[in-house]
Amino acid sequence: MKRLALTILGLLIVCSTAQADALADIKAKGVLSCGVFGDLVPLGYQDPKTRSLVGLDVDVCSAIAEDFGVKLELKTVSVDARIPSLETGRVDLMTASLAYTPVRAKQIDFSSSYMSVPVSILVKKDSGIKSFADLAGKKVSANRGSTSEVFARQKLKSSEVVTFDAGPASYLALAQDKVQGMAMVKSAGVGFHNRSGGTTEFLDEPLFMEFDCVGVKKGEPALLAAVNAALERIEASGRLAQIWERWYGQGTEYKMKREKKVTLASEFQ
Amino acid sequence: MSLESFQVLAEPDVQRLFLRGLGTTLTLFITSSVCAYALGGVLVVFRMSGRLSSALVAAFVEYHRNVPSIVQIFVWYFGVPQLLPGPVQTWTNTHLGPFFFAVVALSLNAAAYISEDLRSGIRAVSTGQLEAARALGLGYIKAMRLVVVPQAIRGAAPALINQALGLLKATSLALAIGVNELMYVARQLDGETYATFPSYLTPTVIYLVCTLTLMFIGSRLQRAANKTR
Repeated sequence: MKRLALTILGLLIVCSTAQADALADIKAKGVLSCGVFGDLVPLGYQDPKTRSLVGLDVDVCSAIAEDFGVKLELKTVSVDARIPSLETGRVDLMTASLAYTPVRAKQIDFSSSYMSVPVSILVKKDSGIKSFADLAGKKVSANRGSTSEVFARQKLKSSEVVTFDAGPASYLALAQDKVQGMAMVKSAGVGFHNRSGGTTEFLDEPLFMEFDCVGVKKGEPALLAAVNAALERIEASGRLAQIWERWYGQGTEYKMKREKKVTLASEFQ
Repeated sequence: MSLESFQVLAEPDVQRLFLRGLGTTLTLFITSSVCAYALGGVLVVFRMSGRLSSALVAAFVEYHRNVPSIVQIFVWYFGVPQLLPGPVQTWTNTHLGPFFFAVVALSLNAAAYISEDLRSGIRAVSTGQLEAARALGLGYIKAMRLVVVPQAIRGAAPALINQALGLLKATSLALAIGVNELMYVARQLDGETYATFPSYLTPTVIYLVCTLTLMFIGSRLQRAANKTR
């Protein structure tokens, strides 16, 4: 009887101290795993020469891992598996062009945003489409599970939104005239625009202005706070601006200006 | 997973979404199976008439058996239109959507398997049957049509029903090229509402109901066919 009571007491003590603390686990293991894209230029893709994963999202996660003082482990994710991957704990953080939406915020937590980009529509130059009204009755492609799908369905009610599993397939549908527009976040859309050989252009009006943040599993306040602190330090040291310059700056084919610095979650949520 | 996520299934919009998806899946299935069984029969005839046509059919069957179905669907939708000349390509893009190419890819794939099943069914009929029919004065074609083929189909029936089940499930691959079928709408619902379990449980149940119905129909047809003995 006494042994049974002691065992139960011991189990209770162990259970009460066993709380989920991903940050402590990361520091103990010495490895931070991040979810990134493997096929979206220039956010996360495989460098054809070195065959390693590179991109802006990859660099951001590298910087966070350095700030934590741990090694980085990258895992590729598909567009619609980003949130489930976080929820199941397959990755610790999600840096895969993950935009904040209130619906998503019910499933996971978002850090401060490290990138703020518009969601725009890419069309063929010779299609004569200049505004959303011109897309009435036409087809628009988008990545399944992305904010571009959500906002295309909301704002382009008279168009048919066709979703594909990944960016390249959505672009291919536009390139082959199977759809008349492609809704995609501009940070990824420019990659396809530049490779289209001058046949495509963006519509002036964006669908939406989205804030890309680091995704963190719900119920991990320590990890969320650590990520936010890391992002602030990375911004203050100028490293985030360097990362932007490397992938979108004047030395690249995009030459995009950085719209906003790291924005606190409270400002856009 | 919480039980409250199942509430999303009570909304009429969601129910209509699944019904539309099911409608597309069934249309895809019926169109593909009609084409597949017809083409499968034609392929078997060609297989048995001459060395060249036999080799061509064998090559066709080998390609469709060895290349994954999803690859075949992508090749038809994204690849083949590229090979067509300019104006034909434009016409194709405006008039033939992903549904058409999904039907083509699925039909050809299933037809290859069906022709093999029919061929093995024909081989299972003992040669004595054909000889006896010829001896009774029936021509080759009449002998095949009245004596051998009915027995062959009876023998191949389980395999043919299997192909129908496989084809119904293979229609879900069409989601990769943007066809609005059942799995496509299920993933759309999951993406919008994050009610993951109900979003995927519903098509599971629907597919089960459909396949069990098919199996029931198949067993009834088999029984009816066997009654004529």
